[in-house]
This record gives sequence, structure tokens and C-alpha cells, in this order.
Amino acid sequence: MPSLPAGSWVPSVTPQDILYRGDSCTSQPLPVLPTQLSHFFVDHPEDAFGSLGKLLHQNFYLGDSKLRVSVHSGLPPCSGCPRKNLVPRLRWFSHLARDWLFEVPLGLLADCVHEDLLLQWASLLFDDSPTGGALAWLPPKDVGARTGRLVYPGGQAMNHLCILPHGVALRRGGGGREGVPYFVGVRSDYHCGVWRVPGRTGAAPTPLQVIRTSVPASCLTVSPHLPGELAVCTQSGAVYLWSVETGLQRLRHDPQTMFFRDHSPWRWSDFTAHPRVLSCADRTGLQCLDTRVSPGGCHFDLFKVGEEAGCQQGERVVLPMYLGRAYPSQHLVTTQFSVYVLDERLPLVPVLKWAHMMKAPPLFAHLTPGGPGRSHKVLLGASRTQELLLLQYRGEKRGALGPPCWGSQSACQLVGTPQKLHSVSSCLQHLPAQLPHRHRLLQQRLSAPAAGGCPAPPGGLGVLGRGQDVSWKVLVPEEAECPQEPSANPQPSPAAALRYRRWLKAFSKVCGQPPRHTRPPTFGQKRLFTRKELEEPSAPSALQGQARRWLRQAMRDGGCLQRWDPPPSALPEPPEPAEDPDPLSARLTASWCGDWDGWWEGRMSSSLAQRQRALRERRRRQKRARGRRSLSASFTSSLTYQSELSELSDPDTAPPPRREASPPLGTSPPAAATPPSPEEALLSSQSLRSRGIPKERRKTLRDYLAVWADGPPEPPELPGSQASQLCIPSSQSQLSSASQPRRKRPRMGF
Amino acid sequence: AQANEGLHTQLLKKHTQNKPAEKLLFFSFCSFMCLSYIQDAMLRKQWKRAAEFLTFYIESLEKDFSTEYMGAEILCHRFHNNMKEFSSFIEQMKTLGVKRYLKVSVCLEHAFHLLCNGQIDEAYQNLSLAESWRFGEQTAIQDKEMKLIQAYRGLLDYYSWSKQKNILLEHDLSVEQEMHGCFRKAAMNLKEIIKIPGVWDLFVKCYVDLLEFYGDYSEAREVLNEYAYNSKFPANPNAHVYLYQFLKRHGESKKSLLSALKILHDIVPSHELMIDFHIMLQKSKKRKKRRLGLEVIFAVLDYAGWKENVKAWSCLARQVKQIVISEKHLDWIKQEWDPRRDWWPAFHFSRYSAKRNWQENESLSYEKALVAGILLGKDSKYFKYVSHRGCKAQVKRFRILKKFLNKHNPVYLRLSGLSDSSVQP
Repeated sequence: MPSLPAGSWVPSVTPQDILYRGDSCTSQPLPVLPTQLSHFFVDHPEDAFGSLGKLLHQNFYLGDSKLRVSVHSGLPPCSGCPRKNLVPRLRWFSHLARDWLFEVPLGLLADCVHEDLLLQWASLLFDDSPTGGALAWLPPKDVGARTGRLVYPGGQAMNHLCILPHGVALRRGGGGREGVPYFVGVRSDYHCGVWRVPGRTGAAPTPLQVIRTSVPASCLTVSPHLPGELAVCTQSGAVYLWSVETGLQRLRHDPQTMFFRDHSPWRWSDFTAHPRVLSCADRTGLQCLDTRVSPGGCHFDLFKVGEEAGCQQGERVVLPMYLGRAYPSQHLVTTQFSVYVLDERLPLVPVLKWAHMMKAPPLFAHLTPGGPGRSHKVLLGASRTQELLLLQYRGEKRGALGPPCWGSQSACQLVGTPQKLHSVSSCLQHLPAQLPHRHRLLQQRLSAPAAGGCPAPPGGLGVLGRGQDVSWKVLVPEEAECPQEPSANPQPSPAAALRYRRWLKAFSKVCGQPPRHTRPPTFGQKRLFTRKELEEPSAPSALQGQARRWLRQAMRDGGCLQRWDPPPSALPEPPEPAEDPDPLSARLTASWCGDWDGWWEGRMSSSLAQRQRALRERRRRQKRARGRRSLSASFTSSLTYQSELSELSDPDTAPPPRREASPPLGTSPPAAATPPSPEEALLSSQSLRSRGIPKERRKTLRDYLAVWADGPPEPPELPGSQASQLCIPSSQSQLSSASQPRRKRPRMGF
Repeated sequence: AQANEGLHTQLLKKHTQNKPAEKLLFFSFCSFMCLSYIQDAMLRKQWKRAAEFLTFYIESLEKDFSTEYMGAEILCHRFHNNMKEFSSFIEQMKTLGVKRYLKVSVCLEHAFHLLCNGQIDEAYQNLSLAESWRFGEQTAIQDKEMKLIQAYRGLLDYYSWSKQKNILLEHDLSVEQEMHGCFRKAAMNLKEIIKIPGVWDLFVKCYVDLLEFYGDYSEAREVLNEYAYNSKFPANPNAHVYLYQFLKRHGESKKSLLSALKILHDIVPSHELMIDFHIMLQKSKKRKKRRLGLEVIFAVLDYAGWKENVKAWSCLARQVKQIVISEKHLDWIKQEWDPRRDWWPAFHFSRYSAKRNWQENESLSYEKALVAGILLGKDSKYFKYVSHRGCKAQVKRFRILKKFLNKHNPVYLRLSGLSDSSVQP
């Protein structure tokens, strides 16, 4: 059960939400609570008392004053408790969940919450989902036309492409190709789509194809060589060449990292100078794969984190990029510490290395090729810290194809020093003074992590803040060879100031109407169950017909329906009485059989034995909890398991129907070698799906039934693979990867 | 932020003067902050601010690798006219950097900076000085770095040698003695570094040049062979290029030239020497070699960098045309074409590229149209567009091309395997 999803309508998770709410992340002991509270009351009286007062205000009648039903203070409702808007949502959530929440075993629930917290913590530390950036610039095709197009995800959940409604959350808009038209790749967690954007401005883009993956896709890049070709990577370590015409071709499937062991499931793929050779990256390095030979056949190492490239300890690949528009055989690789330029023809030895000195690893990069004889500009951007760095480099002469060598051709080198550009949040000081609460909102909005950036000529720069559809343009000075010292805080030009003010006006208009934004999206039945799942089967089976007849009969008679004789093959055997049933089920069973009195007697007499059993059970649970804590204490182990487990049962991706006219069907699990036993048949996802139970619920149900079938599940006693076959086609399981004996390569160095 | 900066530097100053053990943590925090301010100032090109922070930071140098580099960078920009000040700063850095590795890299950095400013003699002195330092026990890394310093000194020796060579060639024989001294020093130093596995293109080239000048061909050949074929060295296409150029200079047999290029073809099929390779293979009388020539030119054109290269396209067009006219070895073309059938049309022969090629380079579009006409038939988009345009513009060769293809159209049918319907014209 995940925590509430983060989006623009819920403040995104901060470290303070997960850690205790102290002043910093330092591990000081907690001060005494009363002292802390008294400080809080004095320092934040409005937060402490304001919300409650406001909530209760309408129910109080204070002396002679007139009774008012609705409360409208002079201040906008944004002031006061920032969590106030969450209250109705939480209430609504509890309303939704109260039917089933108590059924979920507490241990399991705690595990799930813990797991989700770990995931959220990991994504707070380093979130690689926006890798590659979600902003692309399509320059105009017509010569003379001055307006190009920006492609970016918009909407509250980043679920719109430009102004085109599309039902998935977007992660990345891939760039186009030099020809007409452009192909734009759009990646969300479980769906990848490709759009065709005609070269003419104003012509409507058309969606071409959508694929669905069972494991989140981590990469989607558009081929710079061939129209309608893309590279797709999933977190299970699969790399595909996706052609709109011929479909998917799997090039590799290896859940392990390439050069040494690393826990991250992140994979990346890009194109190279040869249209049939793809580069494929994980955190440990880059390889080039030839698509013309069988999977795993022909490849060579392009970059390896290690001594050859002079890497530091703990250095990892963050973002690779093909620099084909500048030099056909060069690649850019960024790590947390450095930027490397590599040449395919001289692999493993970087032709350029530069420590970028950015505080957060650069997650998106954009290349603007310079003309002949001019330097190429690379824009690096970090997400969380909004850093933007502009590098200029020059390599061998354009058109010359010899390897980088000295003499007639110049070596690859940086031109000038890299320059840091102003971040979006640094413009806050240039905005006119605001009311404190509005200032806070503004600050929050402006310091949202950047989701993408790209140079938008002439001399402009677009930066996309995540969660909001804000797009900024900053002028970049050409050739920063300025003799005078630029002041630390240059004043914005009048035009920019005017634009700031205009944006601010629009912003305050939007945040003046909080109700529209704070309304939660509703999770109706319609969303939980697809129409197909809710549909009645076309012809009711004989059993259903019989049951209906009985039901009608019973209703007519006003009696109760006692007998229920299902054919034995359709329904499972009544669960064998477990050797140690829990009191609730025993009591229910007894009362079902009408022997409740007897059960009560027996219970009274056997309370001593009961207590002993309970004690034993508790001890066992404690032991198990200890074991589990040690497993999931390391962050890494609980991060990798999801994709690893799910790929055991599901084929990775399903080739899609074109245009996805009908809702995609889930992939069917692989046929088992032996016919499944009735219980397993019941538990299989197919049978569950045929009963109209959605995927999210299947696991809960299966766990619940498993409790009935063979007592409390004990994960440590089952071998990992067997357990996964039994109970997971979906990607949710709390098994940790530590129980999987698949890692064979030892970790070496770095 | 500015107030913070001031505060941190004040604190740092205070603590560097008097560093009690219990404040070490706080000290390191301050120096970390200071480092980040320096980095920030550098990236914003605020050299004055960076230099101010650096003076505070300089005391806590010994830990950080990158500092001396940053220092050089900052001062290079801050005092770009004032070399004296720069040198005094560097000297200060050297005395501070107790550990030897630091000294060595400072020296190299300093030497590079001097070289950029054209002060070659000072750079040379600097390197010799660095070579003479001895501190503590020598480790393997130190040994390697020492070799690097020596190599760069050798490079400077080579530089002065080649200057004197030019004088000598102007019939001034007085420099001969001095020149020979330079040669010996340079050769000694360069020889050392190229024994270590690595990419030493620059040093190898200089060393070979020295040896060749004095007629020591066998040694030069050995060096180049070692550099190209020793498996301990990274696979370096340049090594094979140098070997090929050396062999060519000395008029070696065609066979050895071809074998050098064959290896280069295996490593980098997109190398620019592949055109030479193809032409040499074409001239050969052996069938096998001509077959290889076709393979080479097809492989070259697979790469995006060669897409619009007229020379490569005309090579391919010529060989394909020859084969078609002679009607022998059509299977060669078929074998090369089959794996490319599904992507070359979109990659090379789209309507869009026909349009662009025609606008930008007429002869390129002619060569490509010939190849497209043979491989894809006369109904292919590329050929149709270009020949239409060519005939309209009344260019003679396009009309001849059209006639040629009409005559040889059955070739296309044979290439496409007649029954093969997967081809998209």
C-alpha cells in the first residue's frame, strides 16, 4: 500500500517528512517533548492554534457576536497550517479504506509502508526517473521561420504532452531528427509512446504507437539516423530496438550490471555512429551492441568505470549521451564528479575529462552543435539543485574522420572554462516583495526540481520545473570573454523584469483559487476496474443461473439461503482446518456451523494452552522481524527486488496493438510445465483476472487466501524462486533480493 | 548568501591560525563550505572572488587533489598578464604541497601554463626542477609520474631539436652539435615512456620522427610494431595509422600495406584511410581482394559520418557499375545488400535526402542515384526524384544514367531475388 502519491496537489515528500521533524538531518537526541512543544507554541502560534480554531469556529457561538456559518478571513486561505488541505483527503481515504484495511495483516502493512518509505527516501536522495530531461526543442524546418516548438510534459501530474491530452505521466520527450518530420518519444513508468510531429508549424502531431512494459522503462531515445526507430530500456536490464514498422527487437536481457555489481536497476541506451549499433549503459559503464547479430553476440566496451578512465572511488555513470550532431563518433558520459567525452573508435580511453564541480549529478544534457570552426555547447542540468552548467568544447575538425590525433587535427579540448548559469530559484530576489505566505508559495514553486532544460535559439534557454508547467527563457551570453568582473547579482534587464512581473501576476491569480487545485482527483470504481472487467460475462453460466434462481426463491419465501452446492471443480476445497487456526477464524467457523456455544466452552477451558501457543507465536514473529530488519536495513537490497522478481514470471513487454485502440491486455503468465493444483489455479492471475479482480487487489486477495490455505506465510523458509512462482505475477512482493542466490560476480573495486 | 560567505571565511581564518583538535570537525566543515564557494565563483567566472576565497583556503590544502588545479585556473584568469605573481603563487603552492604527488602535478600544470604563454624555456626549467626533487620513498605511481615529466621534457627537447633542424636545413651547419645533444636527450626520455602501456600518440610520433631523421629505420619500425601489436596497449587505431604511413613512406610492398590497413578496417571500419584501402583493393587482380573492396566500401557507408561523402559514394558506384556491366559476381552485391536491405533505403535513399542532396550537391546525388537505381530499381524514390530533376535541368549524365538503368533493370530483379516481395521501392 503506497503512501499518497506525490504530485503538485500534494506537497512533495521532503527529508523532514521521513526523518523526524528536527531542524536538520543530524542525529542529535530528541529534545524533551514538552520543551519542544512549548517552543512550537511560542514560535508558530498560528500553526498550533489557528487550524483548530478555524475548524471549530463555525461550531462555536461566542457571546453576543453574530453567528456566521462560513468563515472568510481577510487573508487568503493558503495561510495557516500547510497540511490543512490534506485533511479532507485523508478523511476520504480512510472512508475508502475502512472496508478492507483491517483485513490486511499488520506485519504485512508495516512492511509495505516501510518499503514505500525506503523507496521515497531513495528517490529523495537521488531520483533518476527524470534522466534525460523532459524538455525538447524542435527547431523550425522551414528556412526563415523563426518559431520552433518546445515539447514538454504539462498538467498537474505531467500528464499532457504540450497541449495534447494523453493519459500517461510523462517523463521524457525525446528529441527529433534532422529530417521531416520529427519523431518524439514519450516515456512514462509503464508506457512508452512515439509521436510524429510534422515539420510544418501548426500541423497536428499524431501518435504512432504505444508499448506497455511490465517493469518501469528507464530510457527512451529517438534514433538520429532512421525515422521511427527508438531505443528502449527497462529496469529489468532489457534493451530493445523499437521500430514503428517492425516492432520490438530485444538486444539484451541481463539483470546484472555489466562490469561490477551495482544495485541500481537503471539502464540507458542511445545510438552510435552506426545506425545498427546501439550503446547500452548502466551505472558501471557503457557497451556497444550490434543489432544485426543475435542477442549477446557482438559487443565492445566503450566506457568502464575504473582505472582506465581515472575514475574516483564510488563514481557511477549518471547520464550518457550520443554527441552525433557535433562529431559522428563521440559520446558524452557524465558521472557525479566528472564529464567525459569518449570516441567509439578509441574505446575505454576518454578523449576529454573535466571535473564539473556540480553539487548534484547532472541528469540532463543538451548539445548545440556549433558551425564549422566553432565550439559546440553542452548544457548540463541537475534536477534537485537546479544547477545549469554550460560547457564549450572543440574536437577534431568537422568532417575529418580520422581518430583524434595530433598534428593536422586538433585534440578534443574545452574552450574556456565552464560557466554556471543562474538557476530558476535565484530570480526570486528580483521579484517584488510579497506577503510572507505568498513568498513561501513562490519559493516553493520556484525551487521545484528542474525536469529538463534545452537551449532554445536564438540565445535562449528553456528550463522546465517538475510538477509545474513553467518554462523559462534566460539569455545566454555568447563567448563569455568579458574583461570586466561580472557582479555577483546582475540586475535583470527591463524586459526580463516585465516578464517576471507578468508571470507573477498569473501565478498569484492561480494560487488565489486554491479550492480548484486542492480538490483531490477522485478514484471512482470506474478507475479501479476497467469497463471490461466490470462487464458481465455474455452468457451466465449454469451455476450462476442456478444461484440466481435460489436467491430469488429465498427472497420470495422470506427465508434464508442455507444450502450452497457448487460443483467441486469450480470452487476450491474448503480450507483444511489448520493445525493452529487463529481465534477469529475458529470462531467464525464455529458460528458458521452453528456451534458457537461449544467453541466458547472449549475456548474457556483451553485458555492456558492458548496462551502458551500465543507466546510461542509471538516469539517466532519477533525472530522473523529481526531477520527481516537485517535484510532490509541495507537500502540497496530492497530496491532491486521488484523488477527482478517480476521478470521471473512476466515476459518483459508485450508487443502492443497499434494505436492502442482497446485497453491493453495484461501479459499472460508463462504456461507451467505441470497442470496447477486447484489452489494454484485459483491463485493464478488468469483466474483472478477472469473474476474481474484488478491487478492491485490480486496480491492482497492471494495473500489472504494463502493465510487460509496454509497458515501464516513464512517467507524466509521458502526458497525465493518458488515463492515468487507461487504468489507473484504482479510486481509487488515484499521478498528481499537477499534471498535470491543469483549474484555470481563478486564486486570488484569501485 | 553573502553574509554566510563572510562568516565562513572569518571562521576559517580564525581556525586556521589556531587549530585545536576538538574543532577539527568544525574546521573541515568551514573548509568544505569555502571550497564550494570557490567552485561556485569559478563556475560563474568571478575570478576575483574565487582568488579571495582561495587565499583563505590555501592553508588547508594538503587534503585535496583538485585544489592546485583550481588555483592554477583561477590565477591564470585573474593575473593573465602578470606572470610573476602567478609564479610566486605557484611556488607557494609547491612549498605547501608536502606530498610529492601534489608537487609533481603542480609542476606539470605550471609547465602547461607556461607553455600556453609561450615561455618554453621556463617550462623546461620547471620540468627539470621537478625531476630533481626527491621526497620519501618512491612508489609506483610516483615512478610513473616521473616518467611523464621526463616525457614532456623530452617533448620540449624534440621541439628545440626540430627548430634546429630547420636551421640546419637552411645550410647553417653550426647548430649540428647542439642539435645532436637535443636528439639524445629527447630520444632517451621518449623511449622510456612508450614502454609503458598507454596511449602515447604524441610521443611515439616524435620519437619515430627522430629515428627516421637519423636513418634508424629498423628501430622505428620496431617501435611502431610494438605500439600497434602489443596486446598490453589499448587497441589504438592511430598506432596502425602510423605504421601504415611509415610503411608507405618507405615504399614497402603492397602486401604489407594491405595487411596494415586490413587490421585498421577490423578495428575502425569507418576510418578515412578505408577509401585508400578500397582503391588499392580495386586495383588488385585477385578476385578475393576486389570482393573485400566491396565489403569495405559498403561498411564505410554504414556510418553516419560518411553519409554525404561524394568520394565514398563514387567509389561504390564505380564498383557496382563495373559488376553490373560485366554481369559477373552479382552475388557479391547481393550478399552485401541483403543485411542492409531493411535500413539503407530509409537511411540513404529517402525522398527527403534526395531533395537535399540535389539541392546541396549535384554530383553526390548522381552517384547515389546510380547506386539506388541498381540496388532498388528504377522505381525507387531516390532515383526517380533525382533523375527527374536531372533530366529537367538537362544535365547530360542523368539522361545517360537513366538509359543505363533501363538497360540493366533485370539486375535489380535478380538482386531482389525476384520472388522477394519484402523490398520497398
